[in-house]
Amino acid sequence: MKRRVVITGMGMVTPLGADLEQTWAAVCAGRSGIGPITRFDASDMPVTFAAETEAVPVHPADEGDLKLRLALTALDQALAQSGSVDGPRTGVCMGSEIGRPSLETLAEGLASDAAPDAATLARLDPAAPSRWIARACGAEGPVSTVSTACTSSSQAVGEGLLRIRRGDADVMVVGGVDVLVDALMVTGFAKLGALSERNEDPQAASRPFDVDRDGFVLGEGAGILVLEEREQALARGATVLAELSGFGCSCNAYRITDSPPDGRGAYQSMAAALNDAGLVPSDIGYINAHGTSTPMNDPSEARGIRRLFEQPVAVSSTKSSMGHLVAACGAVEAILCVQAIRTGTLPPTINLDRPDPDCALDHIPHTPRTAEIDHALTNAFGFGGSNGSLVVSRHG
Amino acid sequence: MAEVPQVVITSLGLCTPLGRDPSGALARGESAVREQDELSGLPHRTAAVVDKIDLREALKRRKDRKLMARPSQLALAAAADALTGWSGPTETLGLFVGVGREPGDDGESESALVAAQVDGRLSEEAVAGPCRDLYPPLLPLKTLPNMALAHVSIHLDVRGENGTWCGGPAAGLAALRAAIWALESGRCDGALVVGADSWTSAGAVRDLLRLSGGDPICPPGEAGVALLLERADKAIGTPLAEIGLSRRPGPRSEFAHRAALGDCKAADALLALALRVGAGPGGAQFVAAEAGQPPVGVDLYIPPEFACYPAHSMDADDA
Repeated sequence: MKRRVVITGMGMVTPLGADLEQTWAAVCAGRSGIGPITRFDASDMPVTFAAETEAVPVHPADEGDLKLRLALTALDQALAQSGSVDGPRTGVCMGSEIGRPSLETLAEGLASDAAPDAATLARLDPAAPSRWIARACGAEGPVSTVSTACTSSSQAVGEGLLRIRRGDADVMVVGGVDVLVDALMVTGFAKLGALSERNEDPQAASRPFDVDRDGFVLGEGAGILVLEEREQALARGATVLAELSGFGCSCNAYRITDSPPDGRGAYQSMAAALNDAGLVPSDIGYINAHGTSTPMNDPSEARGIRRLFEQPVAVSSTKSSMGHLVAACGAVEAILCVQAIRTGTLPPTINLDRPDPDCALDHIPHTPRTAEIDHALTNAFGFGGSNGSLVVSRHG
Repeated sequence: MAEVPQVVITSLGLCTPLGRDPSGALARGESAVREQDELSGLPHRTAAVVDKIDLREALKRRKDRKLMARPSQLALAAAADALTGWSGPTETLGLFVGVGREPGDDGESESALVAAQVDGRLSEEAVAGPCRDLYPPLLPLKTLPNMALAHVSIHLDVRGENGTWCGGPAAGLAALRAAIWALESGRCDGALVVGADSWTSAGAVRDLLRLSGGDPICPPGEAGVALLLERADKAIGTPLAEIGLSRRPGPRSEFAHRAALGDCKAADALLALALRVGAGPGGAQFVAAEAGQPPVGVDLYIPPEFACYPAHSMDADDA
């Protein structure tokens, strides 16, 4: 019999707020966290806006590093909810991307042909966030790092689920963090044609499934979940927020940047997650779509959803409000699914003024929908073609 | 309690500085470690480099090679060899990849960055101007750690459960562990495990020297290693070795191949395992992965479960 896995702690920092409560309130109010780039002078760039986190208070252990600050702040929130989880039966798996050197570091390299110092190299390592989190929460069990672009933290949450089921750990602290709003990344992704260029109206730029969508909006943030073996969580009196009931993933085997038009990878990933959860499509009451607002991804995902779900299911993309948190999006959006189950409120897709007929779904445009649901599914699909889907369920 | 299905290795693929089948060269005492022109200005000048990565049979479109950083090329070459003969469904073939030094930017953006320099510092204004025109448009993608997975998936049509693990030398083993789990639990029918890493460029060697704090370093290497795993009771291919996960430390690893092939970091443990399997029963000169090989410069915790062993190499006290 499978060991069941429950969620006992959640934390996040997003462009909509410095914690889950602020973010959830903003998502449900239809607010946007997207605006002109403030971190550097982007006025001459092809894209002048992004979804930046607002001034997040310095964390005592953040060493002046924003990525570390976001991750540790989200961790503190999750641990405040779950209680302390340190020890040898606690592991960590974070989804993360390679760190990007600052312009100062790059300039030093050009000037002296010198490698960054050891501390900088360690900070740029994709595995760095896992180490930070393990150290901060006292996890002495297995630590690993998954890096599959935008799917990273979805797969990290999935790895946590599998580790607890298998008995390698009783608690897994999982999630993702990403900070990509810098001059070179904005330049690079803009040259790639992946970003929205709606500079005149940033808050309307992220418009998943809308006919006028023109690309995604770079964002940043962190999301952390504390996963726990159910019987242990109940025995210690932890508050169970939801059950993490299924995880599935697939490869598109198609192209680096585009999804296959028939949505086969999305279909396969969602079907695998449902099968893993022991559910059928009609059990799912809400899908938090990957919904990046790119011309190719949205119709591909919509086709995948329509193929699997014969009956319409409520769908929204919260990237419309907070942009694309890349390696952090899977964890953050899984947490929003837990909130949807717990509050009976399904968050909306803002800016969905004219739904694209190619993306026909049961959308939740502009304002939230009230619905009591028992199971929600969230998708994360990455550059390179890795897809991940998670199912969260009402605990009972 | 349900019995855990036995997992077997049914195929190997290697792309190493001593070629696709390095066992013979190793047995003859050959070494690929030699002085490299690219490293001539550095305190450490030797490395083991793959002379030619042959992707002719693996690429769907030859021009795609330009999109691939070196670890991706190494991974694809090895994976293509390991998958030769695979006739099962690709939808249920998993792909589990461990990568090490991310390809980063090995000089491709240098002209753009030089153009962005103003008085010795990089100007954001110049990044938006002259730098922008020179900046390689595919660089943000090429430098993602999951590109080895992406290219293997795309060119070899692998579509099942997947993941890319980072974390230095532990990465290949993390991928192997995930693959074994996926097979044991029925999440895939076959699992392609790939380790790929390259530390032989001048930039990589500078990083190694900086991380070592001035201490001598092992000659760096590079390799792509692929193992095809299947459940023993459903295997399409002929089993070469059984493999499982131990909760106790496995046999002590010697990584003897490093003297001839260099230190291939994320690919190293899988390389040791592949050499061991390739040598067959009794070929004991190369021993499989150990439990706690710490990554360079980091303090990642590697639990005993990472001890992986071909069944034919089990110590008496493991039996």
